[in-house]
Amino acid sequence: MRFFPYILKHLRHNGFRTALTVLAMALCIFLFCVLETAIDAINASTESASDKRLITRHAVSLVFNLPIYYGPRLASVPGVRRVAGANWFGGIYQDRKNFFPNFAIDAEPYLAIYPEYILPPDQKEAFLRDPRGCIVGRETADRFGWKVGDVFQMESTIPPYRVGRPFEFVIRGIYDSDAARYPGTNLQQVFFHFRYLYESTGRRIGKGSFVLEIDDPGQAGAVSRAVDGLFENSSSQTRTETEAAFRASFIALIGNISLLLRVIGLATTFTILLVTANTMSMAVRERRKEIATLKTLGFTSGHVMGLVLGEAVILGVLGGGLGLLFGDRFIHVLPKIPMVGDIFRGVADRGLSPELGATAFGLAVALGTAAGFLPALLAYRERITTALRQL
Amino acid sequence: MAATAEVEVRDVRKIYRRDAEEILVLDGLTLDVPKGEFVALMGPSGSGKTTLLNLIAGIDRPTAGAVIVGGTDVTTLGEGELARWRSRHVGFIFQFYNLIPVLTALENVELPLLLQPFSRSERRDRALTALEIVGLSDRSKHYPRQLSGGQEQRVAIARAIVTDPTVLVADEPTGDLDSKSAEEVLHLMESLNREFEKTIVMVTHDPRAAAVAHTRYHLEKGRLVD
Repeated sequence: MRFFPYILKHLRHNGFRTALTVLAMALCIFLFCVLETAIDAINASTESASDKRLITRHAVSLVFNLPIYYGPRLASVPGVRRVAGANWFGGIYQDRKNFFPNFAIDAEPYLAIYPEYILPPDQKEAFLRDPRGCIVGRETADRFGWKVGDVFQMESTIPPYRVGRPFEFVIRGIYDSDAARYPGTNLQQVFFHFRYLYESTGRRIGKGSFVLEIDDPGQAGAVSRAVDGLFENSSSQTRTETEAAFRASFIALIGNISLLLRVIGLATTFTILLVTANTMSMAVRERRKEIATLKTLGFTSGHVMGLVLGEAVILGVLGGGLGLLFGDRFIHVLPKIPMVGDIFRGVADRGLSPELGATAFGLAVALGTAAGFLPALLAYRERITTALRQL
Repeated sequence: MAATAEVEVRDVRKIYRRDAEEILVLDGLTLDVPKGEFVALMGPSGSGKTTLLNLIAGIDRPTAGAVIVGGTDVTTLGEGELARWRSRHVGFIFQFYNLIPVLTALENVELPLLLQPFSRSERRDRALTALEIVGLSDRSKHYPRQLSGGQEQRVAIARAIVTDPTVLVADEPTGDLDSKSAEEVLHLMESLNREFEKTIVMVTHDPRAAAVAHTRYHLEKGRLVD
């Protein structure tokens, strides 16, 4: 500890370089935290899906709708308890930056299949009774200052749902959730009646997908096969999978995100390692005379190596601390980002996890140590007479 | 002046190897420096005087022979032991002062004490005393860049004496100073020798510096001459 002020003096003396190195290290740790949180969120989004729910969609693509009459036929498949249609409406409220997910649903069975959306009974009743009624997640209601009874308009971005005028909705309920029982529940969504969309578009649309509640999660595979077998010879073949698999495949539409994020994280970490190692090497090269002087004064090679390593570790600690701070702040903001924020719900709401924080901090210290090791070794091996003679 | 030899150099040879070439720098040199003596080593460039000084200071090792300082044969010590020995027994004064630029004068003087078992306040007191001896206690908070060359060298001398070493070794201590500063530094070294009985071995080209020493040795081609 008695050498600590000496190390700090050096870091302060080259303040600009120290600041840049710390920032580089902080950026690395920041990215590590955010990317790992993103990977956790992606994994959690599939893991939190109910194993009692199956999603049936068009076999070719989500873009194509399924015939409405598939609903009753799906309900007749043994093992299926409930069926509800759900269409991604793609509605925009006033401006694209006001994005929130919105769906046209078969309200009664849908709410029964998704018990995580908790509504007061009178609001639920009012919603079911009003064809133009909708229910809004607590976060979206808070975001726009909406309350029950308010009226707002949305216009869809999806061609079949564009009818030349906006759709008008009356807020009949604001749903919440039980975070302990249903972690990660999305409180930004808006649900309205499929019937309203169907009538407004001239009864020409189908169902985007069907959600199936099944009796026995253990029979998910068999039920899926039975469903898809039912429409095997039809013009609109189906693809049925568990909700988790559906979410995973949805995410996979934009590639192997986890691998991509890991590669980015690794590349960044390696780059920062090189940057920090280079900085430390420069610092040691500039201080050959000083190292020789210290050794002349009686500092052992181990002392000198410790001083250089100490500087590198302090850079790691400072960069790590700063990176954790920025990372935690940013992770809290992630769920609020339009379009992609939804993925981070639940995981990011809690901020940086202590485990990830500890890992990231350990990584920062390890990076600092690794970056400082070679320069420290050079300092260790520096011969007094050689260094003094060359300077 | 005491008769006991504080520094004994016994038949020392030093050969440097540059690729396949061997360069004989010291050729069987023997020298005794009594306790409390002030010795000047003179000679042309390449004569081996700095090498001899480095051997006495324990920052280099002879190819053959023995160097005994204060009763310890430094050639038998391992790297770590040698460093610890230097921290207690040698005060080194460099030609270019070699102060640490990021440290104040006081912190520079305190530096060798970090290796000793002193408390923070003890280190500070001793460093202040050393600065007082060299007449720079009022510059204790100045950084090297805020000091003149002569003041820097006096701080370096304070750093060399702060551990109360057995021997002070100085490599061209006035080589980078103007004549007035050089005179001040030489006067200081002389008083350290006289008042504190410090044994001093100094390498110099400067006849005025050599004149301050009690004994002058001339080296040529790695050997002592008259």
